[in-house]
Amino acid sequence: MKDLYLPEIAVIHDKIPETGDVSTFFVRFKESGRHDAFDYRPGQFLEVSVFNVGEIPISITSTPTRKDYIELSIKNVGLVSGAIHKLDKGSEIGLRGPFGNGFPYERAYGKNLLFVAGGIGLAPLRSLINFALDNHDRYENVTILYGSRTPSDLVFQRELDEWKTREDLKFLVTVDREDETWQGHVGVVTTLLPRADVTAENTIAFVCGPPVMIPFVIKDLSNLGFSDEAIISTLERHMKCGVGKCGHCCVGDKYMCQDGPVFSFKEMKALAEEA
Amino acid sequence: MRAYSEALSVIKKSDLFELMSRFLESREVIAPIPGHGGEVIFYPIESIEDVAWDWEYVNTVLPPKRFFLPQTEELFHYKNRKNGYEIEPTYNDDVRMIFGIRPCDVNALLFLDRFFGGGPIGRPAPVPRDDELRDNYYAIRRANTFIIAFGCHQPGEDCFCICCDSGPFLEEGYDLQLTQLGDEEYIVEVGSARGLKIIFGHEDLFRTADHTEEKKLAEIVSTATQRFGNTKAYLSKAIQNITYDQVPGELWEEMGNRCQDCGGCSYVCPTCCCYNVVDVPVSDTEGYRVRTWDSCAFAGFTKMAGGDNPRSDKKERLKRRFFHKLSYQYILRNGRHGCVGCGRCINTCFANISMPDIAEKIRRGTAR
Repeated sequence: MKDLYLPEIAVIHDKIPETGDVSTFFVRFKESGRHDAFDYRPGQFLEVSVFNVGEIPISITSTPTRKDYIELSIKNVGLVSGAIHKLDKGSEIGLRGPFGNGFPYERAYGKNLLFVAGGIGLAPLRSLINFALDNHDRYENVTILYGSRTPSDLVFQRELDEWKTREDLKFLVTVDREDETWQGHVGVVTTLLPRADVTAENTIAFVCGPPVMIPFVIKDLSNLGFSDEAIISTLERHMKCGVGKCGHCCVGDKYMCQDGPVFSFKEMKALAEEA
Repeated sequence: MRAYSEALSVIKKSDLFELMSRFLESREVIAPIPGHGGEVIFYPIESIEDVAWDWEYVNTVLPPKRFFLPQTEELFHYKNRKNGYEIEPTYNDDVRMIFGIRPCDVNALLFLDRFFGGGPIGRPAPVPRDDELRDNYYAIRRANTFIIAFGCHQPGEDCFCICCDSGPFLEEGYDLQLTQLGDEEYIVEVGSARGLKIIFGHEDLFRTADHTEEKKLAEIVSTATQRFGNTKAYLSKAIQNITYDQVPGELWEEMGNRCQDCGGCSYVCPTCCCYNVVDVPVSDTEGYRVRTWDSCAFAGFTKMAGGDNPRSDKKERLKRRFFHKLSYQYILRNGRHGCVGCGRCINTCFANISMPDIAEKIRRGTAR
């Protein structure tokens, strides 16, 4: 009998620090058959258990086109995320999922992709970015704009260096506050929009970042001519069960864990409660 | 009345005691018993002497939902053994019988059946939105519990089931429905195959109702329906106003100022079923994951690890509660609105924020 709440055991194979408080965990389901069969959409999340501590929702940052590991980039902010950070390679965790609707990547077939990410918001977008790069024949131009508070808050540094050199995408990065090592652009992420020559024509924008960033990005994209349907973002809520039962993540009549967390700006405006 | 079997039976009060005694030999029996403060509560009985036999209770302080969604419920046990973690679900499949459950509470179970994706008893299960999302813990308890309901010939002071299409008698959702016929007898309706089996299995206790008794039942139903006093909730206009966000902000402001954050409304509500999930360690390598009742009235209900709290304001939480109970959006999701008119919130809320009162204010579009 299938059970909504029973986690499956997975093993941490590697753990790479990204910033002072963010690490990426490379995990595999313990049962290798289960690992091979596990599939998901970019933008979906897993419920991650640390037994005796609890369970939290974490977006999958790896792409389903690269199956060796499920990658989870986790910021150390709470009880369970703190406990995960204390785990070493070889430790067992529990996983349930994938949950959530994921990004509507089929809608973007044949179009330009614009990614606007702030801070740890790059984690869920990275899944879709790499998915699109692995399916580049289905998409036109790929542009990635990424901003963080300081240079030391930039996540996926090794991958950012690779994106900078790739010819099949445009990648621009900025920080709110520079330090002595920083040679690049300084300013909030929206200041990259004019520099990247972004056009709204035949383009879908995917936006993820701290709640304070989202309205500014949406405003600038709207000014550039992006329609409300062409702006896709995610909503964050406290979640427990992941299956639309515990009631914590509702916004209006939508359950973020099942109906969301990905919505177009048009859908967000139609929500019966201010998101 | 829709019923599994057209034939009505009659059982004497003394034979009803006998029937319960027979059940007690083989399974758990939950019945209304007198509590220490003079109230009536549902509780597993050890002997029929425990039962609140005067039947004068109308509604228990707490609904019987805790027998289907316990206030604290183990979901699974985990243990780190030699080869790593092992996980074992802790399903409870005890066969039980609940006696004296009222129509409002049965309708609340039908609501929870749809929400948790388990089928009700005796009638075809409403198709869950997605079979994959069946909550086994609820569904197993529910499927193993016989429902012996009592129709309400006399509504209580706070009852408004009649405004919520959930009483005072049931049309579905019961194995047997008993309605008092004079002082010494009950008329019995059968609502399921297993309800019929109870009658066949204890033929010595039941007799077939005669034609006058059938007529009498219809009269009792009609008289009871007329006995509802002033406690009314005119929900349909309230539903319309809350659906289209036509409720003045001052109403939620005013209710937010009055609300004491106690969560009592959720705990006594037979359809409220939000829960929190926590791990309870037994040792460093072993423990249980449990869920516990939660409430959207609590300040921490939507608080995230980083500290953000989208409903930090009480008025937002109040608005949320009534939107969830009444909006057309949720009627579509849940198959009905989320109030069964049991009246418990009227009695429980310190701040006098109850469904009939708020529905009236929402309907009139006023804070006072």
